[in-house]
Amino acid sequence: MRQQTKQMIEQLISFIIYRRSTDKDFQDLALSLFSYQFEYNLPYKKYCQKRRKTPLTVQHWQEIPALPIQAFKELPLTCESTTEPESVFLTSGTTNVEKRGQNIHPTLAVWDVSMMTAFKQFVLPDQQTATIYVLSPAEDLNQQSSLSRYLTNAVKHFGTEDSRFFFKEEGLEMAALTAALKEKESKREPVLLMGASSAYVHFIDYCMERDLTFHLPEGSRIFDTGGFKGQSRELTREEMYESFARVFDVDPNNFINMYGMTELSSQIYEVTAQSPRFEKVNPDWVKTLVLDPDTLRPVKAGEIGVLAHYDLANWNSCMAVLTEDIGYETENGFVLLGRVEGSEARGCSIAVDELMKANGK
Amino acid sequence: MNKEQQETQAYFIPDTIQLTSFTTREFESKQGKLILKSPTLSGKDIQFITDTIKANQKNYLDRLQTTEVIDIVDAAVQKWLDPDYHLRKFAEKWLPVITGYDAEMIRLELKRFLRTFRKQELLRFLVEEFDDPAVLDDFRPRKKGGLSKAYGPNLILHFFSGNVPGLPVWNLVMGLLIKSGQLGKTSSSEPLMPVLFAKSLEEVNPELAKTLAVLPWKGGEEQLEQPAIKAAEAVVAYGSSDSVENIRKRVPAHKRFLSYGHKISFAMVGQEALTVDRYRASIHRVAEDVSVYDQQGCVSPQIIYVEQGGSVSPREFAQLLAKEMDHYNHKKPRGPLLENEALAIQSFRSQYEFQMESSVYGHPADTSWTVVYHSEPGFEPSPLNRAVHVFSCTHLEQVYPKLTAFCQYLQTVGVAVRPNRLFKLSEDLGKAGVSRVCSVGKMAQAPAGWHHDGEFNLLNLIRWTDIETSAERHAEHYDEDSE
Repeated sequence: MRQQTKQMIEQLISFIIYRRSTDKDFQDLALSLFSYQFEYNLPYKKYCQKRRKTPLTVQHWQEIPALPIQAFKELPLTCESTTEPESVFLTSGTTNVEKRGQNIHPTLAVWDVSMMTAFKQFVLPDQQTATIYVLSPAEDLNQQSSLSRYLTNAVKHFGTEDSRFFFKEEGLEMAALTAALKEKESKREPVLLMGASSAYVHFIDYCMERDLTFHLPEGSRIFDTGGFKGQSRELTREEMYESFARVFDVDPNNFINMYGMTELSSQIYEVTAQSPRFEKVNPDWVKTLVLDPDTLRPVKAGEIGVLAHYDLANWNSCMAVLTEDIGYETENGFVLLGRVEGSEARGCSIAVDELMKANGK
Repeated sequence: MNKEQQETQAYFIPDTIQLTSFTTREFESKQGKLILKSPTLSGKDIQFITDTIKANQKNYLDRLQTTEVIDIVDAAVQKWLDPDYHLRKFAEKWLPVITGYDAEMIRLELKRFLRTFRKQELLRFLVEEFDDPAVLDDFRPRKKGGLSKAYGPNLILHFFSGNVPGLPVWNLVMGLLIKSGQLGKTSSSEPLMPVLFAKSLEEVNPELAKTLAVLPWKGGEEQLEQPAIKAAEAVVAYGSSDSVENIRKRVPAHKRFLSYGHKISFAMVGQEALTVDRYRASIHRVAEDVSVYDQQGCVSPQIIYVEQGGSVSPREFAQLLAKEMDHYNHKKPRGPLLENEALAIQSFRSQYEFQMESSVYGHPADTSWTVVYHSEPGFEPSPLNRAVHVFSCTHLEQVYPKLTAFCQYLQTVGVAVRPNRLFKLSEDLGKAGVSRVCSVGKMAQAPAGWHHDGEFNLLNLIRWTDIETSAERHAEHYDEDSE
């Protein structure tokens, strides 16, 4: 690993840990990370040059070109060329299994610090540990999943000894989870439930079929993340929250939703107790821009556009990532409106989706 | 500046019918505000309107000679060919506001389009499908004996398309030629032009206009569509496979049902069109095809196959095409896009920007035009709104295997090849499912008598009555005067 990389990593870690975040600090570090990535990530450099953006012309972090998530599918994006990265996280490949996006992590040092610092801030601000019950696979079952790493980290660093993973090779152990929750209920001990949104839907369906409800003790929290990705029936956020309240009897102020992407190295949170419902809030080392889909320039405050995340922790691939999610800016963060669906063509020209179906893709 | 406010009806019904409840839709532009007034309809209204149309069709339209109908349509079309005609001026002013298309483009294309409905074109259109168009008026003798007469449906229910302004005029004219009463449901993206055309027909011949209704409602509204389908003898539907299927399900099997589903078109440019003296013109024509009506028509190319061996390479072709589309965009800017449409183009660009085999040429500041170059032939749709693929191929014939999976969707192919290739190429394209081969530069201008999506237009709506020779002969027995 080159010396400059080591220094960059140190700088980033101290920025994250000390959380001394004036806008100027963010700006300085973002610009220096941009110079670094421009120099060492060749595909990104080409992308920037084509747009006439270089460390010489970019004066403000908002001018740093955001790299579309498709780039993560097509190219190995890495500043530090290493044959043995600590991890390579892959996207789920919902749209095309053959082409999964990848984010290469020569070391997870920054990723881990980012995860833990924000987890503390948003999920457990008032306590050191919690009993964590996890509904999704742990890292040993799915090494390529950033979510599995996240959940394993949470249990390892914040879980009490009785924390458990209920997702085994055969799938989610519903009966065991039910029994464990019932036990917590009778002992009046709070629990932090964590998992992918789709995993909850399966468990909620299981409970409803059996007329099963819980009265989780006060202080219990429900953490979910991600979309449904065709893995379960789809619920809106409202329906999801309504189901949480009904099945677990947990106050909506104790719901936490995490927005994460394989292409990033940090997570963004929606914490009902801390900010208005559905508002997603960034940790200090992540900033989100809402861009006009036509020009990719920032929209006026409050207007709807496509989201670009600037994540300082994403030091090896690319700090600035252009998503396909739309949303709008709010006082403390942004509201996510979801992924853009392919639109039904206005005309008689065939829509892409329809044609892709014909081709069996 | 004093802004003008205009209100107009977004519907047309026989003038003997009164509707009482209305809603409005507003469109604002620099030149002022347009208020479109639409009726709030009930199933009963639809029933009453269709009953009235059918009665008027029976008592008036059905008794006209086809040539008289043609004269009426021609008179209405002649009005539209006058630049000062008040409805044309109205359409030229407000259609750009409603649809978002460039005003100059609409002005030009609308004029071109309406010219295809003048008397001589209508006569040609009829002859195209009927050896003897008089079969629409009387029993006419057949070559092998007997006589036949053609009857159009007493009522056609149209589900109009909304992508290209004026297209529903084609449907209305088609219905008139076979003397059918007609009810057309407009699309919310273009609710105006069929109404205006019905008004011109009313100016020319108020009685004929009483056999027409044009109404807006939200597609799928069962309480309106059920009585409309019940009343109609034939149903003509435009839309995506899903929406067409949704209508088809509800049309009883004994009724005529014509549908025009979504299609895809492409262009093929042979090396002979890329010589030093010709390549500029070829690129200009292709840019025109891609840009007109922002690629919303099914006749617009989404893919250009460019043959190697010309004086410009396929890659240079792609670059020059991008430049030409930029010129076009300066003259006739693309309409504004919805967020998802713009994002679809961004995503389209990103998808190919990072692939080694392809290159993306796009407007640097926004999504107004995009050309994606591929070094190997393939078949990929584009997100439209002036975004197009250019595939390089060693021979145009290399393309056929790429088409096989898409047979049911293929429509127009714009070609630029020398005469001795045209027939072989068309033969192969026909086998692949293509229904129309035309010159590049003319893809958007299908002639009135074309086999739309490879089928007859009028013949498919007609039913026939034959008088057989035996009946003729037998009738003679009862002729007391016969010897």
